[in-house]
Amino acid sequence: MTTLKNPEPVDVVIVGAGAGGATAAKVLTEAGLRVVGLERGPWLKPEHASGDELKFLNRNFIWQDPKLKPRTYRQNDSEEAVVTNFSATPQVVGGGTTHWGGMVPRMTENDFRLRSLHGDVEGASLVDWPITYDDLEPYYTRVEWEFGTSGLGGANRWEGRRSRDYPTKPAPLSQIGRKFATAMDKMGHSTFPMPQGMVTEPYRGRTPFSENGFWQQYPDPGTGKSSTLISFIPDAVHTGLYDLRSDCYVSEVLVDKTGKATGVRYQDEHGNEFVQNAKAVIVCGGGIETPRLLLMSTSALFPDGLGNGSGQVGKNATFHQYSFSVGLFDRALHDPLYGWSGHYMNLCSFDFYETDESRGHILGSLIFPSMLGHPVNWSFPGRPTWGQAAKDADRDLFNYSMKIGILLHDLPVESNRVDLDPNVKDAWGLPVARITHTPHANDFAQEKWQVKKNGEILEAAGASKVVPVNMERITGNTSHELGTVRMGNDPATSVVDKWCRSHEVPNLYVFDASFFPTATGINPALTIMANAWRCADRIIAVDRHGWTD
Amino acid sequence: MGQAEWATVPISTRDTKGPLFFTEHEWATVEAATARIIPTDHHPGAREAGVVRFIDRMLAGTQFVFPAADGKGFLRMEGLEEQAWQERIESRRTFYRDGIIELDAIAADAFGADFLNLTEDQQDAVLERISRKEKPTKFVFAESDGQGSGGAPAGNQPVNEDFLEFFPLLVLNTRQGFYGDPVYGGNDNRLGWRVIGFPGPPSLAATMDGSYTTLEYMIPEAEWPYEQHPAVLRYGDR
Repeated sequence: MTTLKNPEPVDVVIVGAGAGGATAAKVLTEAGLRVVGLERGPWLKPEHASGDELKFLNRNFIWQDPKLKPRTYRQNDSEEAVVTNFSATPQVVGGGTTHWGGMVPRMTENDFRLRSLHGDVEGASLVDWPITYDDLEPYYTRVEWEFGTSGLGGANRWEGRRSRDYPTKPAPLSQIGRKFATAMDKMGHSTFPMPQGMVTEPYRGRTPFSENGFWQQYPDPGTGKSSTLISFIPDAVHTGLYDLRSDCYVSEVLVDKTGKATGVRYQDEHGNEFVQNAKAVIVCGGGIETPRLLLMSTSALFPDGLGNGSGQVGKNATFHQYSFSVGLFDRALHDPLYGWSGHYMNLCSFDFYETDESRGHILGSLIFPSMLGHPVNWSFPGRPTWGQAAKDADRDLFNYSMKIGILLHDLPVESNRVDLDPNVKDAWGLPVARITHTPHANDFAQEKWQVKKNGEILEAAGASKVVPVNMERITGNTSHELGTVRMGNDPATSVVDKWCRSHEVPNLYVFDASFFPTATGINPALTIMANAWRCADRIIAVDRHGWTD
Repeated sequence: MGQAEWATVPISTRDTKGPLFFTEHEWATVEAATARIIPTDHHPGAREAGVVRFIDRMLAGTQFVFPAADGKGFLRMEGLEEQAWQERIESRRTFYRDGIIELDAIAADAFGADFLNLTEDQQDAVLERISRKEKPTKFVFAESDGQGSGGAPAGNQPVNEDFLEFFPLLVLNTRQGFYGDPVYGGNDNRLGWRVIGFPGPPSLAATMDGSYTTLEYMIPEAEWPYEQHPAVLRYGDR
């Protein structure tokens, strides 16, 4: 470990270059600030991507290798945590926007005020957001247009006021989308085109996706899929003010005697250690790595971790478990579904999104139909695994199957948390993140009800067999990591303020989904990006007055 | 050299005809086992697809872990990732070597011959014993959930095979060799895909330049609201 000359100080150092980090980099550099970005993972390019199922699904090409970067999980404090690949999320430049399916619905207005609507729910730490839909709306619109999205403005009647339509038209309908739309219609329910991070028409020099089927979990070799890798990062680099250093692993956020952040300590891929000083630090490592970094950053002023005077860092973790019902169709009665065609999922519905107490639980999720996977990983519980029966099942059902899934709108619970594992270290010798999590009773109730409902929709679509796939525990199977650095007005019960700035460290910010006070029932990336833009605007305004309010 | 800079080495899993890792006996034994996992019927099976070559190349070393994106060669892995894969391959080699010995031991105990020299039914009986489960029976719509443990469908997460025992690993690797891209050494002539009606790209390169598309299997002319749209109504279920 040699110490070489430290790089020059800059205005802002951003840890991570995913949805939050790259958005902040774009906005800050376009306003003239000098920014250094430090990203753990490699800077892969579109030309590293192709439709290779084994590489991207089975061999961890863009996912963290669990041998090098393990995590541990336990259900409660009385258990010993075990090593798992919990909530694998690509650690690469572009972060989760590289592998994602690009679902970009907006939060509903009610999502911002769950405590006002539902009061204190026993066993949960329900709160209102310190901001409203109206605060975020202009930024939602900005991201939709700058980042590149497709959809149909006004088609989702549960959505709040929208100031502008989507820049490109909805993605084409697939056979599974058709099945879903007609079955939902038969049941008196509505569907609309899934808003997606993709361009479906030539847009700002980008060409539409080839619809080759390799979409969800696959990075895009073209320019159809919107990711910060091909949109916001090039924007920031273009200013000449963004120095993005990939393969650089930040291990500590540094503070001075007055409690201000001074920069970060990191090592490059050769193990050389550096300190990058900056006037402000923005942490965007995701809802698991961010609290891990804050907890690793201990000092005399912050013995329990940076900005953790409240003891809230890592608490209230939510993970959006993905559950679903599988529908299997008889080939003698149905046309093939060709689930692999297009882009993984098609259409969605918000009909079950808002709370309906008659279901016996609160909250709800968007639902959407999708494929069961490509040939290697295509399967369903109960599928025969070998022999003639396995071959027959693959041959008879591969093109005659689909699923309808939910994103669990899980309740925040204070004891559900991320902290440092006392025993397990990563390949660099640093303590790994330990997840302690037991779902709330309402989570199980909501999940069970909606998975059953999705099964009924599949039956209405004519499925000969429905297989419900229910949650047993949280596995992090959506890569949505939320709530661990809670945003709120009260420093005693939250970690960052309404500008995502630490209550205790005046120049420390967190712009990834860690800030989510409650989980929402939608994919978080659009909201991460919109909020990062909103808070970056605030930093610019503050910067012009010398980093003080 | 980080992952983004790994060089492409112009090698192919088909440069050598026979085994790179297995002995001839191991090769023939694994080939026989894969042929019971995905048998040959009126369509080709694992044997015709060259699945044993896929497994042999997987165990040969880190040179065949990641193909270049366009399939023209493989990436030369470096650094920690390469070490992790070395370890992974090392432990899988042990699994396979020990597993093959166990297959032969069960075969000798039950039928007095090597696994390779048994009848198909006898081989199935050995696989039942090593898997400690009965051979899966045909999936029927009407019956309640079957005995198989097909596992949950691919959700949004990588599929980890590091914690599997020998037989489930062999089953998964057989599937990977039958249905994975031909660049890995199996799925000869893309026949695994043809068996199940997956068009699949003609090459990995065709997924990069936009030439391979599945649009013809979709309903691109349909407009929202979809359910009563003429393009949608055109597809009546028989």
